[in-house]
Amino acid sequence: MDVASMLVARDIVGGYGSVQILNGVSLKVARGQIVALLGGNGTGKSTLLKALSGLIKPWSGSIEFDGERIDGLRPDRIVRRGLVQVTQGKEAYPAMTVEENLLLGAHVKPERAVRARGLERAYGYFPILKERRRQQTGTLSGGQLQMLCIARGLMSEPKMMLLDEPSAALAPQVVLDIFRAISRICREGMTLLVVEQNVRMALLLAEYGYVIKDGVIHIEGAAEQMINDDAVRLSYLGGTVAGRDRKVAP
Amino acid sequence: MNYFIDLVIVGLSLGMIYGLVAIGISLIYSGLDVVHFAHGEIYMLGAYIGLMIYNTFHLPLPLVLVGSMVLTGLVGVAIERVFYRRILRGGGGYTVSGMAMVICGFGMSIVLQNVAFLIWGPRAMPFPVTYGMPVELGTITLPAAYVWIVVAALLLMAALHLFLKKTRLGLAVRAVAGNKEIAYLMGINVPLTISVIFGVACALGAAAGVLVGPINYVQVLMGLGILIKAFAAAVIGGFGSLPGAVLGGLLVGVVESLGAGYLSGSYKDIYAFIMMIIVLMVRPAGLFGVLAKVKA
Repeated sequence: MDVASMLVARDIVGGYGSVQILNGVSLKVARGQIVALLGGNGTGKSTLLKALSGLIKPWSGSIEFDGERIDGLRPDRIVRRGLVQVTQGKEAYPAMTVEENLLLGAHVKPERAVRARGLERAYGYFPILKERRRQQTGTLSGGQLQMLCIARGLMSEPKMMLLDEPSAALAPQVVLDIFRAISRICREGMTLLVVEQNVRMALLLAEYGYVIKDGVIHIEGAAEQMINDDAVRLSYLGGTVAGRDRKVAP
Repeated sequence: MNYFIDLVIVGLSLGMIYGLVAIGISLIYSGLDVVHFAHGEIYMLGAYIGLMIYNTFHLPLPLVLVGSMVLTGLVGVAIERVFYRRILRGGGGYTVSGMAMVICGFGMSIVLQNVAFLIWGPRAMPFPVTYGMPVELGTITLPAAYVWIVVAALLLMAALHLFLKKTRLGLAVRAVAGNKEIAYLMGINVPLTISVIFGVACALGAAAGVLVGPINYVQVLMGLGILIKAFAAAVIGGFGSLPGAVLGGLLVGVVESLGAGYLSGSYKDIYAFIMMIIVLMVRPAGLFGVLAKVKA
């Protein structure tokens, strides 16, 4: 057993119906670290996330979380173990109020004190959510929705969070705010796996990176090295963002 | 004028009954993504179970009501667990329902009718409870039954509202109705929550059956008419919307009662449907409905 790792996935094979998407993915996330999982559209990122959070059952391979096997468990059981997937901002419940959405995140914590503490913590990270707590979630901006989803993930006081493209469809300034919050959450003791298409931002945030392509891990390495890696390899990562950044960098 | 008010009161109490059944249909639709065509039989079963409780224990009506709601709710949970869930699992769970579930609902309705027929026989049975003396409100005197039906239904609806808005389980129910995958990621036990939704919906149907019992006979085929009326109510209000189901129920009840009083009693069953057609022509999503599925 590997005590330094919070999450260890070995040779995950899986997909939907009879369509195989993951062709043997292995990755590790060390305790207290941010790890980036990079890849373009249709490379298997989301499918891997679903396998980790239990929404689909891997066909073969194993997933170990905090020293225990979790593959094949129902998603709500995995949440109770302390592994929470943070959805994209658009997947908040639009017809509920902001505070209801947050309390939903604390579903596995029925104790009143824990729920109140969670709300306080969430509002501490994202004060704007406190101002809007009685509003319908559908009225929030894209960035606020993403903040809400991260805060909602924190509500169950997990050991580790899986973030599904926290920068998707957001303005650069907002992305910066979100990534600052993520890095603060990590400094305060959280382990995170961040799935991203925004390669450069993600590698600046993370300590270690994986690139997934065609359902297998293609490249992995320390984030600093990957940023400075040659342009050909970075172009794997889906394109223009990485390419443009290369030209600007000295 | 008094005649008009009488008709409206009768219509409102009838509408409350339709509303209770329609809420159940709407709850099941938004939670399970299926239209439950056996819900009229749940209402019938609720009335019989209430009658059995009354005949065996001679409890006061409010206790009979609660007892029947609990038992019928449990029967509903059993039906969902044993039959519906198995059928839907083959199709990928409750989100991919399609035709099989509709047919299954009709089948369940016939099965429940025949089960009731075997247990209680073909004869209509009286529900020997009286609601008590007429209630006087100002200048008008109302039969107690209608007043108590409205009061009881309102209390049940308020309880449902508080449950959905104020409790942890209620929030989970709304989350499952909105999106099952996200609900799972919140740590909600989705299969259990679906059973809760089905049980609550059946309990409300049973309440409608018990409330109607004393002013009507309890009989095996009583579920047919109510299903169609409640269905019309749910469509008028906007399928899946709970306030819509109540409002739709009240509209159907009042229109039906006024139509029967002023036009002709022998056509009373068509007024609801004429109204449903008109509402659908003007607002295809129903009064409170949304065409895009944004719920919870």
